[in-house]
Amino acid sequence: MLNSSKKSKVQQKSSPGLKGGYNESSTVGGYTQSPGGFASPAPSQGGEKKGRTRASQIIPCTVSQLMSASQADEAFKVGDVEVSQVTIVGIIRSTDKSMTNIQYKVDDMTGAPMDVKQWVDTEDPGVDSTVLPPGTYVKVSGNLRSFQNHRSVVAFGVRPLEDMNEITSHMLEVVQAHMALGKPLTMSSAGGGGTGSDVTPISRPAMESRGGSYEGANDMVNNGLSANQNQVLSLIRGCHDAKGISIQELKQRLGVMSMNVIKQAVEFLSNEGHIFSTIDEDHYKSTDNDE
Amino acid sequence: MQLNISRAILLSTEFSNGKNSKPVKMAGILDVPKPRITCSLLSQYISRPVCFVGRVEKVHPTGKTFTVADGEGKIATVELNDPLEEELSGIVEVIGMVSNKGVLMANTYNLLREDKGIPFDLELYTEALKVIHDFPQHYPFEVAASG
Repeated sequence: MLNSSKKSKVQQKSSPGLKGGYNESSTVGGYTQSPGGFASPAPSQGGEKKGRTRASQIIPCTVSQLMSASQADEAFKVGDVEVSQVTIVGIIRSTDKSMTNIQYKVDDMTGAPMDVKQWVDTEDPGVDSTVLPPGTYVKVSGNLRSFQNHRSVVAFGVRPLEDMNEITSHMLEVVQAHMALGKPLTMSSAGGGGTGSDVTPISRPAMESRGGSYEGANDMVNNGLSANQNQVLSLIRGCHDAKGISIQELKQRLGVMSMNVIKQAVEFLSNEGHIFSTIDEDHYKSTDNDE
Repeated sequence: MQLNISRAILLSTEFSNGKNSKPVKMAGILDVPKPRITCSLLSQYISRPVCFVGRVEKVHPTGKTFTVADGEGKIATVELNDPLEEELSGIVEVIGMVSNKGVLMANTYNLLREDKGIPFDLELYTEALKVIHDFPQHYPFEVAASG
């Protein structure tokens, strides 16, 4: 009996073949706008990646991601994605203007409002230094900063939204960018025809591997498994231990994925025959290790 | 007196997206994650703060409650602390707690402007909600401890 997955979006059959990808093109080093089915007339502003080097990427994020980002020296990472220049979309909750800057608190519903600081150039008449009032939805473009453990965004642009569909587009862009840029936890493609390469889930992503990881992201949605299921399957596949990998270790490696989601994925994969339990119901191995 | 002050603030704003952004009663609710949900998820978020976007359907004559339709056409009831001061219509974004009866006890709300001639696509927003709920690892409604 096929697993009746609780999520309506998940395909029942995990057959290979083209099934609902979020991207058709695989431009290496760039994330592309999702083609089709996107009716918003608003152009996506500040969403394009300009190049492959870290410094020139501007990445759509949520406030929660910025607050949770890990930090090594001056570099921030959301999962595996390096972030420096970011965009967030949220509603202004409070404002505070001083001689040299305007401080906003911007709330995008993912957590407490984020502090946004916009420097005011008192000598440049071209720069608009009108304070935007609370209740205004804005798109903030700026750099993530941390000072004395306090995170904020130093903005080079705070633009009030005129088209509220940008709220929707930003949500989708955040998911798309982080999915495309984040190194999936395997190099081999799921669903047969794998490259046979070793799975190294926790290795640091190299510059070159970004291109490869993007292809992986493409493969992820082409075999009928959801992104979560693919990630879980990849980890299980990478385990060469005879007794398999435990659910607890999956949770450890998968960070933000909740235990429930992991268990659901394991149940589905097991029902589909991709994995089987070993010493107990908490340990699993893949039915087709390609090593 | 409070009415006059709030009207004065409204009149002085040029970029105000909402005709009425009510002041926060509980400062706390704005400082926590407020997952964006639809009516079908209300029952899973009882006693939790949420953000609900929908089209205003009917406003009760007392102005203390109104119904909203989400992008799937389902209707939710919103209750306010203070009665509405003016007629509410269009797309509204409500933040509040879900009561154990599935009613959204509003803490604050704001209208999503459509005055620039660009209508808000509520159905598309609802599709986007499915995406972000499908990929919580890429759109977290929680703040993990930063490493």
